[in-house]
Amino acid sequence: MDQNAPRKVALIANCLLNQNAKVCQGAHYRGVVSPVVEALRRRGYLLQQLPCPELAFAGVRRWWAVYEQYDTPAYRDHCRRLAQAIAPQIDEYLRRGDEVILIGLDGSPSTGVRFTSSAPDWGGRPNRPQDDWQIVPRRGIWIEELEAELARRGLPPLPATGWALDMGRFDEAGSRRDLEEFLDGREIAAGSHGENPADP
Amino acid sequence: MSDDARGWRIALVPDTLINAPARASPASPDVLSVLEQNGYGVLQLPPPGEHRRLLAVIADQVAEYAHHGYAVVALAPLLRRRGVTLPPRHTIRPDLDAAAEGQRLAAFLTGYDLPLEEQRRWRV
Repeated sequence: MDQNAPRKVALIANCLLNQNAKVCQGAHYRGVVSPVVEALRRRGYLLQQLPCPELAFAGVRRWWAVYEQYDTPAYRDHCRRLAQAIAPQIDEYLRRGDEVILIGLDGSPSTGVRFTSSAPDWGGRPNRPQDDWQIVPRRGIWIEELEAELARRGLPPLPATGWALDMGRFDEAGSRRDLEEFLDGREIAAGSHGENPADP
Repeated sequence: MSDDARGWRIALVPDTLINAPARASPASPDVLSVLEQNGYGVLQLPPPGEHRRLLAVIADQVAEYAHHGYAVVALAPLLRRRGVTLPPRHTIRPDLDAAAEGQRLAAFLTGYDLPLEEQRRWRV
């Protein structure tokens, strides 16, 4: 394989490789979210794990939260610092001509791509399962800040989708279908169906 | 936490064992698959290059896990400053048979966890 050939790189939410990063009672897999990893590797994507902003900010024993609770100056500053830590790597991928995509976590207040969770009046002690929140079409805070950092560096917006793990009721088959449609749609659009740039 | 599936075990893994160069070698086991089968989560170390800030972020996360009942394998010198005992290390040998290396890795992963007393303290 030509070492300089453009590659396909998937930036993936931290918890898609490590479910231990999820909030208490939020892990659906032991460790790796295998349907996501399989779908990406089968299509020749290299994996680049993103940092988990919530774990680094509030710890591994944090409560679950919604967009509005994390929408604070301090948390946005924290996300910006993380974005500045990973952005040089993304910059490097793009400058060498790699195709870079982003796979987030739909429904997440931080890592949501198509959807995030919202409840403007949430506060105080959590009360599951009585607590109710809404899924709204919006980026999570971390993705907003990551995209803003990439834009500050003059980098183009990344094609992105989310694995729908945090949408309330998790539908693995539906999520897999969504992801594969996104990935295959890109291959068809690029006219590279059947090719695998990561193959030796 | 009965409805939570987390495995409480995490491997710190170099990028080369997750992505193409190592997988391109026929003598290397598919490390990511072995980790997945053994219920480990993965923290991916960045590819070679200047990644000091990213490494610091990863080290903070390892420290957070190590302080709260998670079993962490592999090695990162940055952990010394964060008061974390260095985790056990396993070396993949690409010069040996891939299947045997895969089994050796699986045996290492299966056999490692925190002492039962520590597990009971955290994993309620």
